[in-house]
Amino acid sequence: MKANPRGSLESLAVEVVRRGRAEGADEVEVTISDGREFAVDVRLGEIENLVEAGARHLGFRVIKDQKTAYASTSDLSRETVRRLIRNAVRRAELASRDKFAGLPAPTGSGVDAAGLRLFDPELAGIDPQRKIALALETERVALRDKRITNSHGASFVSSQGTTILANSRGFLGAYDQTYCSLSIGLQAGETDQKAEDFWYSAGRYFSELESPEAVGGRAVERTVRQLNPRKIKTQTVPVIFEPDMTSWLIGFLFACVSGVAVYQKSSFLADRLGTRVGNSLVTVIDDGLMPGKLGTRPFDGEAVASRKTVVVEGGVLRRFLCNAYAARKLKLEPTGNGDGTGVSPNNLYLSPGDKTPQKIIASTKKGLILTRTIGHGLNPVTGDISRGAFGLWVEGGEVVFPVAEVTISGNLERVLQGVEELGNDLDFRNPVCGPTVKISGMTVAGE
Amino acid sequence: MGSEARFGLERPDWRKILQAALSRGGDFADLYFEYRVYNLVNLEEDIVKETAEAISLGLGIRVNAGEKTGFAYVNELTLDKILEAARSAAAIASGPGLAKIPRLRTVRARHDIYTAATPLHAVDLQARIALAQEAYTACRRRSPRVKKTKAIYQDNIQYVTIINSEGLVAHDARPMAKLACYAVAEKDGRRESGYSGGGGRVGLEYFRDVLTPETIGREAAEEALRLLEAAEAPAGEMPVVLAPGHSGVLVHEAVGHLLEADFNRKKTSVFWDKLGKKVGSPLLTIYDDPTIPAFRGSYNIDDEGTPASKTLLIGRGVVSGFLQDRLSARLMRLPTTGHGRRQDYACIPLPRMANTFVDQGEHLPEDIIKSVARGIYAEKFEGGQVEDSGKFTFSISSGYLIEGGRLTAPIRQATLIGTNIDILQKIEMVGNDIAFSMQTGTCSKEGQDVPVGDGCPTIKISRMTVGGKGQ
Repeated sequence: MKANPRGSLESLAVEVVRRGRAEGADEVEVTISDGREFAVDVRLGEIENLVEAGARHLGFRVIKDQKTAYASTSDLSRETVRRLIRNAVRRAELASRDKFAGLPAPTGSGVDAAGLRLFDPELAGIDPQRKIALALETERVALRDKRITNSHGASFVSSQGTTILANSRGFLGAYDQTYCSLSIGLQAGETDQKAEDFWYSAGRYFSELESPEAVGGRAVERTVRQLNPRKIKTQTVPVIFEPDMTSWLIGFLFACVSGVAVYQKSSFLADRLGTRVGNSLVTVIDDGLMPGKLGTRPFDGEAVASRKTVVVEGGVLRRFLCNAYAARKLKLEPTGNGDGTGVSPNNLYLSPGDKTPQKIIASTKKGLILTRTIGHGLNPVTGDISRGAFGLWVEGGEVVFPVAEVTISGNLERVLQGVEELGNDLDFRNPVCGPTVKISGMTVAGE
Repeated sequence: MGSEARFGLERPDWRKILQAALSRGGDFADLYFEYRVYNLVNLEEDIVKETAEAISLGLGIRVNAGEKTGFAYVNELTLDKILEAARSAAAIASGPGLAKIPRLRTVRARHDIYTAATPLHAVDLQARIALAQEAYTACRRRSPRVKKTKAIYQDNIQYVTIINSEGLVAHDARPMAKLACYAVAEKDGRRESGYSGGGGRVGLEYFRDVLTPETIGREAAEEALRLLEAAEAPAGEMPVVLAPGHSGVLVHEAVGHLLEADFNRKKTSVFWDKLGKKVGSPLLTIYDDPTIPAFRGSYNIDDEGTPASKTLLIGRGVVSGFLQDRLSARLMRLPTTGHGRRQDYACIPLPRMANTFVDQGEHLPEDIIKSVARGIYAEKFEGGQVEDSGKFTFSISSGYLIEGGRLTAPIRQATLIGTNIDILQKIEMVGNDIAFSMQTGTCSKEGQDVPVGDGCPTIKISRMTVGGKGQ
């Protein structure tokens, strides 16, 4: 399926802005995306699902007399788009006047999209058969290990798309991007004593994906290490977060430093700008300009140029991540994190240290390496954490047995205050990320 | 507009598309046309902050060949684009096209479970905004300690037309509404949040006759206020009593997912070899029923055109059935149950829950609480998650301590964790007070979200791991 040429979508975007103004809107902003997707799931050596599709989406907002209305559609026909524009301008009148509403100054043309390495020309040319073969090979590698008793399957996913943004302040920008991933999920153990886990590699560039051997091998290792778990007594011990676990911790921090949560007073950090929220080891940065990374883009959903923002510096909360609306509310600057009505992270990471994860484990007399969590249990209003957990028990600097059916609980601020050691293993396959981190003490509930 | 003509194509076109989908062989193909209009109103900081309208239009084309599925979707519904998509889905099979499409016939559902006397999508938007305003005002007025309120009203109308290579044609027009209110209350520098909501496949009258916006707003505030007084939940193993209604999420997570047929066909669920076998207490009987009128999880036909029906999953502790879609039912040689659902046209159908509940037992709820010397009473939940291995968690947002057979201090955030078969065997008492949880639930599976409901009576579990911060 061929994507529409960018030009005709740019014309459509400009037309939506023009028509919105003609219908009476003071300001109009429109985003169009056009993408193609390929996905194959294989399981036990056979293809299970094969998906190929193309999809388009158009979303816009109109502002009239400081009143805002939004609309979106997957039907890009002229009649539908026109009707939505008319409805939106009329609906805006039903909203309340809000002096904070309005588009930000468009600074996004200042960033050169080409220098950001968002698009991999090689990926587009890769034959579907090769993608299928990679998924099959990943699973084959994993199933060679006799401890693996079942497979959730392996998948290869790739997509490419164009994003176009235009607004009534004269901005018209566009960029193309690609994405691909190779993943697998496994089970080990007998029917009533199963352990399961997965691994994946993801990025914008095909050449940067890990090999089937690496992905399959890592998934095996992660799954079998959980076999024959024990329960432990309820206690407070040091907890070592593996990088994937640090990811959700930083994701939770994001929910608490998002300017929207802050002005809504639904974050425990709302009144804490400029104060200490973690110890001096904690530096968290949002950077939308890192070439080739998944969280990179030249401008945000409101045409604000991407940038690098230090959120927490040596434990001190420096900035909230803001879209234009939250920025006006809080009398701050937008940070290039605008996304529709909300705020989203770009590449948001906890700065790494210089220790290998092995060294961090070796320095731990007794503690839990947190390898997986399930469930919700993150409350931005209080900072409270309470999640189901799986891990590896450490004694005398060595892993002694796997642990299942425990929960960990704590509070984000106390966790950030308790950071003792930082690993050197930062990896951006998830754009919200961090290295291995050792926390001095959290409650681990078991028997 | 007649449902046949809604998507701008006619019966001969449908046959042409199905033929293209089966042009490389394949055992089965179906077309899923969807047109959906959503509306949203968001109130916060005492103003109507935004309204939104969204349209979703598209077609998903699926081809099955043995255990394989080829799938493509388009949102430009021209015959050329659709035929191109049908040919990409067809490529899952490799062989000569055998397709002979039988005469198309329209199937009708056994019931019409939508009770929208005054369908909300047809009501003036101003009246819908008023619902959110009533909830918002009730929440704010409940106490000066309520510092922050948010009310979100959403509705949508979803039209689907399903056509398959066995000649089935089915239409459905599914209304949906949801009104939810969030509150943040503050006292002495401490902040807590509360939530309440309702809705379902209902019309405007629901918010007058069944659950008023005023009740929704007040309940959200009261939960936040109660949590301001709440103590930390204890940590460790102890008896857990599940309150009726909201605790249905435990049934959904701990049992329902693992009875979805795909996980059993693939032998990844702990239940795959347990059909007909006893896995839990004889007090436990679980159903999934997509035909409960007006419920959020209900539908007349599923997303493969199969009429919905009530399905027994666990009968007196014995695994009695799985939730089936067409593919799993065919491969497992079991009847379909009408649980093939999709998030939208861009998704492959999967076996999913609709409204899952534990049938009521004989114990009086007060006797159940009386039987516990020290434990917790879990009342409201934020959600949960399960793995095929049977390990699950769910997060309690509020509850009470049980001490000496009485509910005492309110407790806040805690996580329960367990393994499903273990927990099912530890069910000691089942109350006679079945209730259903708030009509606001959404279930995620493989990246697809669908609306669901769940319910249960008061249930006592003899021991469970509770992860709180208290002693």
